[in-house]
Amino acid sequence: MARIEADDLRKVFRRPDKGPGLAGSLRHLVERRYTEKAAVDGISLRVDAGEAVAYVGPNGAGKSTTIKLLTGILVPTSGEVRVNGIVPHRHRIENARGVGVVFGQRTSLWWDLPVRDSFELLRDMHGLGAAEYRENLDRLVEMLQIGDLLDSTARRLSLGQRMRCDLAAALLHAPPIVYLDEPTIGLDIEVKDRLRTFLRQVVAGGTTLVLTTHDLGDIEDVCSRLVIIDQGRIVHDGGLRQVIETYARERVMHADLASRPVSLSGVAARLPGATVTEERDGLGVAVAFDPLAHTAAAVLSALQQEAEVVDLRIEEPAIEDVVRRMYAGQLDAAPGERTGT
Amino acid sequence: MTALAAGVAPAVGLRRATRAYRAMSRAAFRSLVAYQTSFLFGLLATTLAAVAMLYLWRSVLAAGTVRGFDWPAMRAYLLVAFVAGSLVSSYVDYRMAGRIQQGDVAMDLVRPVDYQKSRFAEALGFGVYELGTGLVVAAAAAALFGGVPAPARGGVVPFAVSAVLVMPLRFGIVYVSALVVFWTRNYVGVQSARIALVTLFSGGLVPLAFFPGWLQGLAAALPFAGMASTPALLYVGGLSGAAAWRAVAVQAAWTAGLWWLGRAMWRGASRQLTVHGG
Amino acid sequence: MRRNLWLYRRCLGAQLRATLEYEGDFWIMSVAALLTQGMGFVFLWAIFRAIPQINGWRFWDVVLIYSLVALTEGVAVLLAQGAWTMAVTVNLGGLDTVLVRPFSPLLQVLSSQIGMNGLGNLVLGGSLFVAALVHVHATWTPVRIATAALVFACAPLVKIGLNILTNCSAFWLKTPWSMFPFAFHTLGELARYPLGIYGLAVRLVLSVVLPYAFMSYFPATAVLSLGSAPWLGLLTPVAAAWCLLLGRWAFRRGLTRYESSGS
Repeated sequence: MARIEADDLRKVFRRPDKGPGLAGSLRHLVERRYTEKAAVDGISLRVDAGEAVAYVGPNGAGKSTTIKLLTGILVPTSGEVRVNGIVPHRHRIENARGVGVVFGQRTSLWWDLPVRDSFELLRDMHGLGAAEYRENLDRLVEMLQIGDLLDSTARRLSLGQRMRCDLAAALLHAPPIVYLDEPTIGLDIEVKDRLRTFLRQVVAGGTTLVLTTHDLGDIEDVCSRLVIIDQGRIVHDGGLRQVIETYARERVMHADLASRPVSLSGVAARLPGATVTEERDGLGVAVAFDPLAHTAAAVLSALQQEAEVVDLRIEEPAIEDVVRRMYAGQLDAAPGERTGT
Repeated sequence: MTALAAGVAPAVGLRRATRAYRAMSRAAFRSLVAYQTSFLFGLLATTLAAVAMLYLWRSVLAAGTVRGFDWPAMRAYLLVAFVAGSLVSSYVDYRMAGRIQQGDVAMDLVRPVDYQKSRFAEALGFGVYELGTGLVVAAAAAALFGGVPAPARGGVVPFAVSAVLVMPLRFGIVYVSALVVFWTRNYVGVQSARIALVTLFSGGLVPLAFFPGWLQGLAAALPFAGMASTPALLYVGGLSGAAAWRAVAVQAAWTAGLWWLGRAMWRGASRQLTVHGG
Repeated sequence: MRRNLWLYRRCLGAQLRATLEYEGDFWIMSVAALLTQGMGFVFLWAIFRAIPQINGWRFWDVVLIYSLVALTEGVAVLLAQGAWTMAVTVNLGGLDTVLVRPFSPLLQVLSSQIGMNGLGNLVLGGSLFVAALVHVHATWTPVRIATAALVFACAPLVKIGLNILTNCSAFWLKTPWSMFPFAFHTLGELARYPLGIYGLAVRLVLSVVLPYAFMSYFPATAVLSLGSAPWLGLLTPVAAAWCLLLGRWAFRRGLTRYESSGS
């Protein structure tokens, strides 16, 4: 069953072309001129119950605008949208009962109130019963580990603490759909990991999740489907694994070495198609390789033939990189056609 | 700050400082021009209040002269008071209070220019704009309500002196009230209390002659009378001879007094700032 | 309806708690409000020392009108100060979170702040109001008492409605710092004095276009049977409903063109 249905959704923003100062304003009154920009330009999307969708694209691609259209914050210029069977911007209150929303840059908590008071206000707005509220809150407090934070005011929380509390606030009423706009922006690794674990649990519980992000880790850990948007249009919609295999095949292995390698060209010779470069004044090596051509184990073993490897990490391409390259036509859409470079 | 200033040869330092203050005045003027839509709505608000006063007094004086004022003289009095009241009415205190509340004022401490003079330079820049718009509004209102008589003969010189003093005097009050934020942390309340006191005791709404004797005496001694009542009375000839110069002297004394009060408060506040941090 | 009222009270209550954390502000704002309204009273008193009446209105009659403006302001500031946050909420994107909560967005905005000067206004306005009622020349028949109760209770709603209407300009002006609604607030203060002192244009604006006169002057005429058409004051409940509906209409129109902020 489709939880979210969007059909040819468009949102056009109009900016007045105004000269500076009062003179400009007055002239604008007589001679109205605008520049129009379609932030969302014909998007169609179906999300089924229990799906976890990553919605990504470069800055200004229209991600947040889409989320705001789906949540009823903005009224679309044209097109249709239905969430849980209702038109969100026409029935905002009804819509709000069935969704939870977190904006990474903005808190939905009352700034000067203890977190607990914010939760209780939301409880009353959602009309939750005492038992239901208790149960949901206890579960969220445990999963997000926010028990110690309930009595501090929102303005005293750190970014990571605030984000955990915001997530709890959005999920208090156990909504079937949750939208997260950049939920991990600005957070450190440890907090990110904790949040991703939490989101996996939420999705496993049958909640439909739509999240926008810049962070490939968010997507890989949580989502099964990837929608890529650029300049207001969807340029890819499909399985996450498939996109990564197709567009983001190249991995880079960075290895720290105990001593200088015998020969870099020796490594390159063992790994046809891979690019080998020196790092850290010769005490490190970076190998860019295609995982379909060489396994990570093969790359490592090739390195170990030439030097003692002390430490290593594998870097995956950032999704915005993939998007940018795809849009520039540097990448082929069909898998398997790519030959070793 | 003083150490820095002392390091520069006095003459060169003075010239450089003058140039800096002039630049600040110009920047203030330009920023008002840039935000003039907002400024003009603010002006509209004060204009509406002034228009209400004119209507009210027209009704009060419909029957004839009261307390020495007939309707044309009252018109002139109110409009001079309105123009005087429009000076230093925008932004200087807002900016100061905002920077003090945010703690940005700590950065002003290390600038090689005098804080108070800098704010005064800005107030002058805003003042040019405020005076211009105030005069335009007053002229329009005068036209609407049947003209304004020329200034009283013989009172022109003290009026001119008094008019020049209005701006630094109003600056003194505004500056001191904005510095109070160092101790209260709240400006909206301080500002509206200041506006209430100034509005009543400056004689901007009702000439002080309408007050009972004891209140008149009090008001004449307070700094507020010089902000509207003194120049307006001089204009309509309500003060003449020795009384005129006495009022101007009180005005001048308060101008200087508030300037030094501002200095003392700034010293106290900046000491507190350097001890506790911004 | 009952749920809305209850939630409104909950939001205001929470706001009150947050506000009381800044106790110093409370006192400063209260004193400022007392001073501001007190000065207005002294002003009237100074004028009426010199003349017995203006256009047939005696001192305490005018004080009654004046006190109604102060009371109205006090109620609006205590119960619906949030209207004045609209420029910031709308133009810095804060409305986003409001729109995804299941409670009327307009009521959420209105209850998002409590004005700490409200109490000062109520105390002084209330004292002047009581003093004026004692001194005005009126015979208190049951009908007159009922009329007074009705029109005085509706008067603050006129101001709240017009506050919403003028502050909705935020959706169109698109700046978080606007003096526009403040200019109209000052226009409303013209309703502190008997309407008869103004020219025809001002009278029309205050009674028809933006009927601020229904928060003070018209209710007073109905109760005191003064002025040219005292029956007009009986329309105060209608004017209140009209202003609130206008405010709601403007807010809804605004929401359809709300653009949030950023991309």
